[in-house]
Amino acid sequence: MAAPSIATVIEARPEARPQAAVKAAARGLSFYYGDYRALTNLDLVVHENRVTALIGPSGCGKSTFLRCFNRMHDLYPGNRYVGEIRLYPDDTNLLAASVDPIEVRMRLSMVFQKPNPFPKSIFENVAYGLRVRGERSRRALEDKVEAALRGAALWDEVKDRLQDLAFNLSGGQQQRLCIARALATDPELLLFDEPTSALDPIATASIEELITELKRHVTILIVTHNMQQAARVSDYTAYMYLGELIEFGVTDELFIKPKNKQTEDYITGRFG
Amino acid sequence: MAYARDLTAIRGLIASHKRWDRVFAVCGLLALMLGVLTFTALFVDMAIDGFPRLSWDFLTSFPSRKPAQAGILSAWVGTAMVMLVTAFVAVPLGVAAGVYLEEYAPKNWVTDIIEINITNLAGVPSIVYGLLALGLFVYQFGLGHSVLAAGLTLALLILPVVIVATREAIRSIPQGIREGAYALGGTQWQVCSDHIIPYSMPGILTGVIIGMARAIGETAPIITIGALTFIAFLPAPPVMAQAPFVNFEWLFSGFTVMPIQMFNWTSRPEAAFLQNAAAAGFVLVLMTLAMNGLAIYLRYRIRRNIKW
Amino acid sequence: MGSTEHISKQFEADLDTTRTRVLQMGGLVETQILSAIDAFASGDANLADQVIENDARVNGYEVAIDGACNHIVVKRQPAASDLRLTMAIAKIVTDIERIGDEAKKVARMSKRLQEHGPQHAQRFPAIRHAAQIAVKMLRQALDAFARLDAASAAGVLKEDHEIDDEFRAAVRQLVTYMMEDPRTISPALDIIWVAKAVERMGDHAKNIAEQVIYIVKGTDVRHTSFADIEREIGAD
Repeated sequence: MAAPSIATVIEARPEARPQAAVKAAARGLSFYYGDYRALTNLDLVVHENRVTALIGPSGCGKSTFLRCFNRMHDLYPGNRYVGEIRLYPDDTNLLAASVDPIEVRMRLSMVFQKPNPFPKSIFENVAYGLRVRGERSRRALEDKVEAALRGAALWDEVKDRLQDLAFNLSGGQQQRLCIARALATDPELLLFDEPTSALDPIATASIEELITELKRHVTILIVTHNMQQAARVSDYTAYMYLGELIEFGVTDELFIKPKNKQTEDYITGRFG
Repeated sequence: MAYARDLTAIRGLIASHKRWDRVFAVCGLLALMLGVLTFTALFVDMAIDGFPRLSWDFLTSFPSRKPAQAGILSAWVGTAMVMLVTAFVAVPLGVAAGVYLEEYAPKNWVTDIIEINITNLAGVPSIVYGLLALGLFVYQFGLGHSVLAAGLTLALLILPVVIVATREAIRSIPQGIREGAYALGGTQWQVCSDHIIPYSMPGILTGVIIGMARAIGETAPIITIGALTFIAFLPAPPVMAQAPFVNFEWLFSGFTVMPIQMFNWTSRPEAAFLQNAAAAGFVLVLMTLAMNGLAIYLRYRIRRNIKW
Repeated sequence: MGSTEHISKQFEADLDTTRTRVLQMGGLVETQILSAIDAFASGDANLADQVIENDARVNGYEVAIDGACNHIVVKRQPAASDLRLTMAIAKIVTDIERIGDEAKKVARMSKRLQEHGPQHAQRFPAIRHAAQIAVKMLRQALDAFARLDAASAAGVLKEDHEIDDEFRAAVRQLVTYMMEDPRTISPALDIIWVAKAVERMGDHAKNIAEQVIYIVKGTDVRHTSFADIEREIGAD
């Protein structure tokens, strides 16, 4: 066995990897539910083709933050954003009043906490996003649905029953179907809101494996209440508490040597 | 704790608690039987009374002065036509109103007032609708004592039920489904037409069944707007052999309906007409059941695909 | 570490017990070194036997503490300072066990030297002195571990070269003897082994100190210059 080359040694050290381009950045982001301020002055950079995890105790605002990215809060009255989320390379402020939330949602995709397939066939679930985007050609739909299902590691399990109802799939398969649905529209940023909290450990492992696979082509922002999951799947981790960003850093560093005492207490289970 | 140790005492306690299970089971069964048995008794009595008169002729004959020759042809055809109009008007209006209130309307005090009023409308006596319709449809709009006027009246009557049912059905759709559709970039209308309405169809159908079942038996508003009690003709058929194949004359035709026919017969002195009334009642119940059966079947078909 | 306790009392207790055991094991090994050097100096074969026998206890500690670390990892998935503590303990235990092995080696050599004649050993105060430094380093490293004191651990690193100096002095002296009288070659080689064992003890104590710095500061200071380490310690 030859000695490992310098390149392999460098490869093994994540901090030595070349810095990824910035895909999105929150700047001075605050968010209000009516008069209640749920997020306070957040600054966060999302690197391209990397997984960024948001962790923190329940109610820390991590999901609220995630849902700012695709303007989910616009669906409900009384919500207000302050600050901006810039999406690159075109440097669009996703939160600008002049930007239609539908345009934002056409560019970003989201996978939810509980698998939420539509009560339609497997095929129609994946195809829906494409239909919304005006895709009419049967041929193009079939190709893209297959590609998305392959991307979500579900194709081999469902290729013979694309017309079956999505509800007949297992929980883990349903969640992968939702990932396929999100992938089909070729999103610039993929948002995951605690995607495995309703799944068993095996299904969780397959979703985590998928996330690791996906980040080669997609930029991912994931909210998780499972710290080990953040440690396993993410390249960068942000710790939030009471609507504020306490610490952001390279995942390995944050989990081995956090800079902030609050982060330390949370990830070591001293939070109370 | 010492509680868990004394098993005999625990068992005694459980036994005494379980007595209430049995007590309620019996009470519940009695309550249920009271309703079901009363209905069954009435239905059977009616069936026995009317049975001698039930025949093909009874269904295909017009009313007559002679009880033995009298039939319910004009009555059941009238009922069917009025129901058709009612359904065609109430369902789209009710669903549209329900969807608007749930998905589009801003959540403010105006919407709140509208909501309260809709719920209240469901409780307004049907005769009031009849009076309103008489003034509005019959005279103001000049629709006359027609099938259309009756259909519109009954549609108005069941509209609140359909709206409320639609709203309840929409509310039972998990927020995650709605958000999932929006997250894919759907507009409000795309989300409603592709998801909200199809998924709330079973609930809407339930509301429609309840509403139609109420409407089919309504007598008061129909009498108010001036339905005839004795009709010996059928309106022009809605479908024709030659172009344009459809014909809307029937909408403006005079009509009678089953309950009125029954009411008419029960007010006659001859006992034979009472038999006719019973037979007509039997047919009316069957019509209601058939309508319900269809709706239940449709609901079952759709709901098979929806699990949440 | 950290002023706040874990939410899980059991986790807190597990970490505490493991930490205490490491200190107990360290205490035992300290006695082993002292006894072995005493046996070397005095030629007391019983004492040497006792050291050899006691090494089994040291090994027992190693196995038990390693097991405890495995349990902590599998049950708690420790992170941050807990992770560093657990991983460092697993390594510290190996170093302490090696020191125990070196003490056993010294005891064994003492017995062999005794067979050559009792007069040799006493003439090497340099080795005895080096052994005292080794014990002092081990004690300070363990003390730093107990108090999670990175500065004190850094002090241990500084002392290692003293042992190295003593080792070189002893070797020089022994070489002179061997040149003067070839008959001393065989016992002198044994004595060099003893000196080497003591020198290794110092190295292991240094490793322990490095792990303590890792626990406290989160920086891996192995294979780093002392100046860099001092900068790291002074960083905050």
